[in-house]
Amino acid sequence: MTDEMFQLIKGATEAFGPSGSEEPIREFIKARVKDYVDEVKTDPLGNLICVRKGPAGGKKVLLDAHMDEIGLIVTHIDDKGFLRFSNVGGVNPYITLGERVYFANGTTGVVGIEKIDDPKEVKLEKLFIDIGAKDKAEAESKVRVGDMAAFQRHAERMGSRIASKAMDDRIGCVVVMETLRRVKSPRHTIYAVFAVQEEVGLRGARVAAFGIEPDVGIAVDVTRTGDTPKAITMDVSLGKGAAIKVKDSSLICHPGLRKYLEKLAAERNIPYQLEVLEAGGTDSGAIQMTKAGVPAVVVSVPCRYIHSPSEVVDENDVEACINLLVAAVESPLDF
Amino acid sequence: MDVKAFLKKASEAPGVSGFEYVTVAPIIREFMAPLVDEVKTDALGNLIGLKRGEVGTRNPKVMLAGHMDEVGMMVTRIEDRGFLRFTDMGGVDPRILPGHEVVVHGKMPLRGIVGVKPPHVMARDEMSKTYKMEDLFIDVGIPGEKVRELVSVGDLVTYHRQFTELMGDLVAGKSFDDRAGVAVILVALEELRKYRYTADVYAVATTQEEAGLRGAAVSSYGIFPDVAIAIDVCQGDTPGVPEWRTQSLGKGPALCMGGNIHPKVYEGLTKAAADLGISVQQEVAPGPTGTDAWAMQVAREGVATGLISIPLRYMHTSVETLSVGDIEKAGKILARFIASVDAGFVEGLTKWI
Repeated sequence: MTDEMFQLIKGATEAFGPSGSEEPIREFIKARVKDYVDEVKTDPLGNLICVRKGPAGGKKVLLDAHMDEIGLIVTHIDDKGFLRFSNVGGVNPYITLGERVYFANGTTGVVGIEKIDDPKEVKLEKLFIDIGAKDKAEAESKVRVGDMAAFQRHAERMGSRIASKAMDDRIGCVVVMETLRRVKSPRHTIYAVFAVQEEVGLRGARVAAFGIEPDVGIAVDVTRTGDTPKAITMDVSLGKGAAIKVKDSSLICHPGLRKYLEKLAAERNIPYQLEVLEAGGTDSGAIQMTKAGVPAVVVSVPCRYIHSPSEVVDENDVEACINLLVAAVESPLDF
Repeated sequence: MDVKAFLKKASEAPGVSGFEYVTVAPIIREFMAPLVDEVKTDALGNLIGLKRGEVGTRNPKVMLAGHMDEVGMMVTRIEDRGFLRFTDMGGVDPRILPGHEVVVHGKMPLRGIVGVKPPHVMARDEMSKTYKMEDLFIDVGIPGEKVRELVSVGDLVTYHRQFTELMGDLVAGKSFDDRAGVAVILVALEELRKYRYTADVYAVATTQEEAGLRGAAVSSYGIFPDVAIAIDVCQGDTPGVPEWRTQSLGKGPALCMGGNIHPKVYEGLTKAAADLGISVQQEVAPGPTGTDAWAMQVAREGVATGLISIPLRYMHTSVETLSVGDIEKAGKILARFIASVDAGFVEGLTKWI
């Protein structure tokens, strides 16, 4: 992977943007894709929609990646300046304890816990954020109730692997951004949707797809793997290529479109693996249900330790996903 | 309409949620086509037949929804020794699977069995535990490298079960939930020939009901009917289940009432049954009905919905059991009701105040 590509992943994953507070990541993406598209707009929920016009007669292809990340939201500030919080999306208390977090304005905090007698008592309501304030007034000068925080982590290369926070789903955003940059002659009009609020119920993609009425929907998101010690029974591994989803809890991918992508990957020698995800949903679940229905699939980037501050992907899988998406939008999509 | 012949053919066909198009949809299409003016499919694979009413200025649109998908399983991993691991698609109870014969739909259909550890080699504490899905595996009889040539992750698995006639008019088999509902629709379409009616009837064999009412949600958006009736199955009388939670087999279909049901549609169905002298049972759903009616009710600006259910024992197993007579009765009631739907009825559906 080139350093330029790594820097893009680093920037995208380190940018701030829990569900509903996506402004920094939205700006980050907009600045980097505007030269490769014909139109950039946002909608009432904050989705960033970038249109790359294709030739007449082509389809309307929605490429989706969600730009929100899981995070914490301040619910109360006590007299001593400690912040109580709730989760935005699926936040594990064991993983959150001891983490360093940051707010959109740059304020840093650390996550502490009340005195407990049993590790089983590690629940979000026992945790608090310490931003170094000496009292409530000082805390309130930096953070207000309703402000969101994200994990504070840097992206690191580990051989061909990359660890960072928010790979879910900034790596999907990078795949779509790179697709827009690398595609030379799209046969279709591409609606690249960098969606908000996926982690709280596929909400951004739902309204974006309603507005666009696509002919085809392809979401790019991370998926779990079965290749770590005593992992779930799952046939997806890091480094074995783009994962083409068969199903997850939110959708059964359109079989014709899914097999079309499999065939395309095989023809282009793009490594791929089939994915059956037993728990979890993706934006395509919402896209498929738009109006009278849309054929939808998901191209997944295999990812370990999802929803932790150290989500790990393999650079070769990322390349495979980009290659597959570029091939898809340059193909007839006549499944 | 030979209900038994249809049920045998349709129930023995595989049609797990999302993959109805492969086998079961073409079979249903074959039965439906002669009864309607046109048949089409949509992006989610719903099979939509349209039988037009007599030409009028604004024909009411009545949608009938019976889901053609069934519960099943999907391969998640192929082990080196050839055993297949799997997940469920839509609510299979792992406790019924051990010892079951199944079909693995790979490059060709492969017969398989769900293997189990015999009691002889179980640890003492295992004897008192029930099976979980992750404990189970399918044995198709060949080693891993050969299985991989024929089967891939994501391939489907269905129960292997033949349609069986029991005593009386009871029949048993797999996937009567909800091929029985599709049978009701076919009976209704045939019965409609006896009536003059103005409604345009959209007969929909829906997809992905077991995955979350998905086919009904998008097809009702596309059709935007004035009235939508789901035809599904409900719990039949079974030992160990309180009477108030079940409906008796053979005593007629159950008409559902509750928030998911428009009172005037319920009344209309009740009246149609009474006019025909057919006895019905009452089913009460205080909340979600768990049927296509739940999704159809909130399509677009809202749809007046009804629900007719066929009492069925042993739901989601391969020995689902029902009375053929209940299907015929439901079809007759439905046809009579459709014939009563006119512009005035439709207008009344939105007059609450």
